[in-house]
Parts: sequence; C-alpha cells; structure tokens
Amino acid sequence: MTQPASILELIANASPLVQAVMAILLLASLASWVLIFQRWFGLNRVQGEIDDFEEEFWSGIDLAELNGELAEREDDLTGIETVFAAGFGEYQRLSAAGTTDPDAVMQFVQRAMRVALTHEEERLGRHLPFLATVGSTSVYVGLFGTVWGIMNSFRSVATMTQATLAAVAPGISEALIATAMGLFAAIPAVIGYNRFAARVEVLMKRYEAFADELTSILHRTVVAG
Amino acid sequence: MSIVRDYAFPLALALLLHCGVFALLLQNWQPETDDLRLYEPRAIETTLIVMEKPAPPPVPKPEPTPAPQGAPPPEPKPQPTPTPAAPVEQPPKPDPEEARRAQEERERRDRLQELSEQSTQLALAEELADLRDLEADAETMSYAEGIQRAIIQAWSRPPSARLGMQARLRVDLVPSGDLLSVTLIESSGNPAFDRSAEQAVRRVERFDVPKESRLFEKKFRRFTLLFKPEDLLR
Repeated sequence: MTQPASILELIANASPLVQAVMAILLLASLASWVLIFQRWFGLNRVQGEIDDFEEEFWSGIDLAELNGELAEREDDLTGIETVFAAGFGEYQRLSAAGTTDPDAVMQFVQRAMRVALTHEEERLGRHLPFLATVGSTSVYVGLFGTVWGIMNSFRSVATMTQATLAAVAPGISEALIATAMGLFAAIPAVIGYNRFAARVEVLMKRYEAFADELTSILHRTVVAG
Repeated sequence: MSIVRDYAFPLALALLLHCGVFALLLQNWQPETDDLRLYEPRAIETTLIVMEKPAPPPVPKPEPTPAPQGAPPPEPKPQPTPTPAAPVEQPPKPDPEEARRAQEERERRDRLQELSEQSTQLALAEELADLRDLEADAETMSYAEGIQRAIIQAWSRPPSARLGMQARLRVDLVPSGDLLSVTLIESSGNPAFDRSAEQAVRRVERFDVPKESRLFEKKFRRFTLLFKPEDLLR
C-alpha cells in the first residue's frame, strides 16, 4: 500500500487493545450473520413444512394412517409433525388402555402437545438471544475501543512539543474504526433479532392454532366414540 | 452432521458478505485518501519580519515620538558651550599686565584641561551608550521575537492568501505595551489579507515591551511589521 492512510495500515498500527476489540467485533459480526442466515433459511423451511403438513392434514386423510406414516420416519419429523405425533400418539395410547373419560383423555392429550409445543418454541427461537446480545453490546464494545484509542493518541500528543492535527488525526481515525465495526455488527443483529422474534411468534401462533384444532377433533371423536 | 448442514451454508454466505464489504471499503478508501493528502501539508507556520529601524517619521503622528528620541543626545552638548562663554567675558582690564597675562595663561590651560576632560568624558559616555545599545540589541531581538510570535498566533490568514503577498503595517504603542494604532502603509493588493494582518495586530492588544523607557522609545514606540506568508503552496 502506497497510500499513507490505508485502512489496512490503520488497523495494523492500532494499539493491541483496540485490535483485540476489532477482532471481537469482527467475530461477533461474522457469528451474527451466520445466525441470521441460518435462522432465515430455518424459519422459511419451518413455514413451508407447516403449509405442507396442514394441506395434508385437511386433505381428509385418516388420522391414524397419517400417524402411521409419521411413525415410519420417526427420526426425521418436522416441528408441526412432532406436535401432531405427540397429541395423536397420546390419544391412541389412552384409547388402547381403555380410558373412556373424555375430560381425562383431553387433559393428557393437551399436556403432551403442550410439551411438544414448548420444545418447538425453543427450537424456533434458538440463537435469537445471541443476536440480541450482539445488537445491544457491540456498539458499546466498539465505543470502548474508540475511547481507548483516542485516549492513547491524545496521551502521545501530550509528549510532543508541537501538537498538530496531523499528529492526532491517524490515531483518532484508527480508533473510530472500532466504532464503525461495532455499528456494522450491531445494526444487522438488531434488525435480525426483531424480524425473527416476530416470525417466531407468528409460527408459534400457527402451531397453537393447529394444536387447538387437533384437540377439538380428538375431543369430538372421544365424545362420539 | 445436521449441524454441518445447518451452518455450513450460512457460514459461507456470511464470510462472502464480509469479504465483499471489506473489498468495497478498500476500493472506496483510495480516493478519500487522495483528498486527504492534498490537504495534509498545511502546516501553520508563518514568518513575520519585524523591522528593527523605526521608519524615519515622515508623517509625524500626534505621538511625541521624535521628542523623546532626540532628548538624550542634546543633554551633554549644552555643557561645553556655557564653559567657554563664561571665561570670554572674564578678562576685564587689570592694571598689572604681567599678572594679567599669567593669569590668562593659567586660566586658558585650566580651561583646556577642563575641555579635554569633558571631551573624554563625553567620549566615554558615548562609548558606554554604544555598549548599552549593543546589549539592548539582544534585548530588542528577544522582545521582537516575542511580539512576532504573539502576532503569528493571532494571525488567521484568509483562504485567498497566496505566496508572495506582503503587507506592511505601522504599529504605534504606548509604554505599557497597549496598542495605540495600526496603519496600513503598504497593501498586499488583497483587501482580505490586509484586513487579516490588521486584525492579528488588534487581537494581540497588549504587546510585551521592554520596561526600560529608553529602549522602548527607541525601538518599540513605533515599528513596522511585514506580513508575508512563506509556507503556502501556491
């Protein structure tokens, strides 16, 4: 680099602490983008799965048959399928055991599905706390690096006899890179967190609606049966 | 395995994104630095020449400048004149001619001696004054430098200042060092530059001048300043 103030040189000349801050922020930014992409694809896939399963569910297929289908590929169930499998499996077990009290049956079924729902919510919302942390703290980490860098550059100016702008400017410039990196990491993380938190909520609503519908269908069968 | 499948693709995307941003940053960095480099050599350093000799006052200001200046030399001069004047009247007309002549002779010798003594004294005084002037020169220089520094600090040049411009100002001070007046005696041709020079002098307000009134009267009562930027590019 022949330029006197290339960004690479600025980073290389920064003090070790500022460099460490920059490294942390770079890692945070990388990790948050990895998670953003991962969540993006993951949530899209979950939404597709819900659409597919609901289509199959309302296609008039026999529920026992559907459950048997799912049982065949037990290791590879999608979110909504686990909810269905949990509720219907509990219902089948109870009817096989000869329990006839509708309220007791429904209570067990609901409880089983609630457990499955909780697991699903946990899976959907995975990594979101990390995004929230990056979004709220990386700005401060970057600011810390900047303040430290500026402190150092001013301290070195104090020992000079002639304090010119040219003596202070590179130090401040390199220190400000830390703030820029902090913002670069924080902004996508905050946007990603808000967006994904909202989507997780929407998906959970759909799960719960499906669980309620399954409950009412099973209730009808129990009362009728 | 599912972890690899879940995260490998996002990781690749994230890496790609960061590399792209960094490459963009590197590319866009260059023109900015070019601009920066253009402005970099603007060190603030000016040279200001304080004219040592106070300009011979062709335009006598209301200040009593010439009066104190001329005051010290006339002091010793009047002394010799009255001395010869007195003895001239002394020879009246005494009767004993010889005694008179002898007396005259003696008196003349006395007077001669007195005169020569006085002249040596005068020479000595002059020499002493010269010596003091020499000392004063060093003192003058240090005060002049101080004034120069103060004015340089107060001087903010207009952007239109160019190399080769020069403005000459005459500054009148009172013995406390306070500014009495500033007069432009040679314009640089650029009114903004002239004004900035005048502003600089006015902004200093109080100059550090020698306490000794003789030196002050001689060098600092009125002096000329030459404003001339020497570090500009164009």
